[in-house]
Amino acid sequence: MMTGDKAIVARGLAKSYGKVRALRGVDLEVARGELFGFLGPNGAGKTTTIRCLLDLIRPDAGEIRVLGLDPQADPVAVRERIGYLPGELNMEQSLKVEGQLRYFTDLRGNKIDWGYVRELARRLDLDLAMPIKNLSKGNKQKVGVVQALMHRPELLLLDEPTAGLDPLMQQEVYRMLREAQADGATVFFSSHIISEVGTLANRVAIIRAGVIVEEAQPSQLVSMAIRRIWIRFLKPVNPAPLGEVEGATVLSQSNGLRVHLQVEGELDGLIKALAAYPVGDIEIERPSLEEIFLAYYEGDRTEEEN
Amino acid sequence: MLAELKHTLLRKRGQMIGWAIGIAAYGVLMVSMFDSIVGIAGFAEMMESYPEDIAAFFGGLSQITTPKGYLDVYYFNYMTVIIGIFTVSLGAGLLVNDEEKGVLDLVMSYPVSRTALFWGRVLGFLAVTALVLLVGWLSWVLPAQGTEMDLTWIEFLRPFAPLFAQVVLFGTLALLLSLVLPSARMAGMLAGGLLVGNYLLIGLSNLNEDLKAFIEYTPLYYYQGGKAIDGLNWGWLGGQLAVALVFSLLAWWRFQQRDIRVGGEGGWNLPALSRLVRRSARQA
Repeated sequence: MMTGDKAIVARGLAKSYGKVRALRGVDLEVARGELFGFLGPNGAGKTTTIRCLLDLIRPDAGEIRVLGLDPQADPVAVRERIGYLPGELNMEQSLKVEGQLRYFTDLRGNKIDWGYVRELARRLDLDLAMPIKNLSKGNKQKVGVVQALMHRPELLLLDEPTAGLDPLMQQEVYRMLREAQADGATVFFSSHIISEVGTLANRVAIIRAGVIVEEAQPSQLVSMAIRRIWIRFLKPVNPAPLGEVEGATVLSQSNGLRVHLQVEGELDGLIKALAAYPVGDIEIERPSLEEIFLAYYEGDRTEEEN
Repeated sequence: MLAELKHTLLRKRGQMIGWAIGIAAYGVLMVSMFDSIVGIAGFAEMMESYPEDIAAFFGGLSQITTPKGYLDVYYFNYMTVIIGIFTVSLGAGLLVNDEEKGVLDLVMSYPVSRTALFWGRVLGFLAVTALVLLVGWLSWVLPAQGTEMDLTWIEFLRPFAPLFAQVVLFGTLALLLSLVLPSARMAGMLAGGLLVGNYLLIGLSNLNEDLKAFIEYTPLYYYQGGKAIDGLNWGWLGGQLAVALVFSLLAWWRFQQRDIRVGGEGGWNLPALSRLVRRSARQA
């Protein structure tokens, strides 16, 4: 498999747990240096994909290359260059934060700059002397972030990196990830919080029921989504022809003076059709990434129901 | 591998210290009682007068007033079960406890191969077991200096070798089962059940000749106990260690093949009893 300048390449990745098909042929490419968001609802296959990349689980079919290496053939070499934050972060309860991080340092052959570890902990307001068992979910997440970043990895695989963090700490983690990217690292993170992906990612993939359904820049996803448009006309009109424009549906109208439309995809056709009307005002509601996401999700439900 | 060995010793230190204290206290108590027990007038005769069935269950009580017989009956006869329960629980949870707690997921994302992780932990398991037995040996050999137990330190040490082999055998069996069965608890229960069952079977075989042919196929049949004071049966000892090695190799192979679980996956997908009952009720 040619991987060139790709940090992650997955082709036809499939994985089942008994009768449950978690991945049904995931195809994915992430370029080196990208900040890549992996979006999907719970159970869509985000965690399973990430765990396949680390050789924690073995796919039933498909090929994977991480930083040009096959994780199944050379898992240690792959993991040396990766920082991983699991979605379900669990650590040894009997240790203190520093003891846990020292153990991780041992596992990395003691090649960790502890000055940098303390700097990361300070930025996240994390007390290294605290016992793990006494930490809140948010503080545990901070330990997870520190251990993922502490060896300055080439590739960060983060499964819901800001789960449990307060908004200030979320912003700090975003800054850390952008800094890592600026230093040349690739950041691949999963999330079901669409605003997070929209804020952080250069590129986004949406996974639904074990298949990648869309891969684009966050702004491109917006342009593909459903928008709601309110139009005020200067005099009463017949809005029916507007409903015949490709992708447009008239949702409601008020005496031909005010029309509420829904448009799926580009607005070009509607704008051209409106040239024949006495338009007083147009108000376009920008879709949130939540709506984009739901559009894909609803599409799936409709398919299943049919 | 060394990081995992160190980590296993650190994590298990509480368990190890607890067991060592218990084993040491028992050893010291039994040594201090030796002179008094054998000094009781008519003690040997009393033992001889025990019902044959009871004496047979313990493999005979005729030598109980000798250091060898005393050690055999009061220590090595059932220490396989006592320390065996410890090693079974240690073996069953060696990898799978961390997996069930979701800790292994993160550990395995570090640059440590499955082989290094596995053997690092197995070495830790062996070291913890050896340290507990070392304390057990010291608890006999040190206080025995002031008693009539005229055994040398090497004679005290010898029966600990088959005890070590036996408990390691059941511990590695538990480790293997934990990587095959859906949970560490199930593996521990099964391996512990086999150990206790084997112990009872050996005792009962002294009462029932028909069982003799069967017990030859069980590990405890090849356990010397206190009789090893006179000399080790190297064939038996080697055989037990070889079986433990085979269990370990099978467990290692299985660990190489399987997915690291974080909960929810795996299991046998057997329908829950309650679901079956509900379904039958609906059909009725």
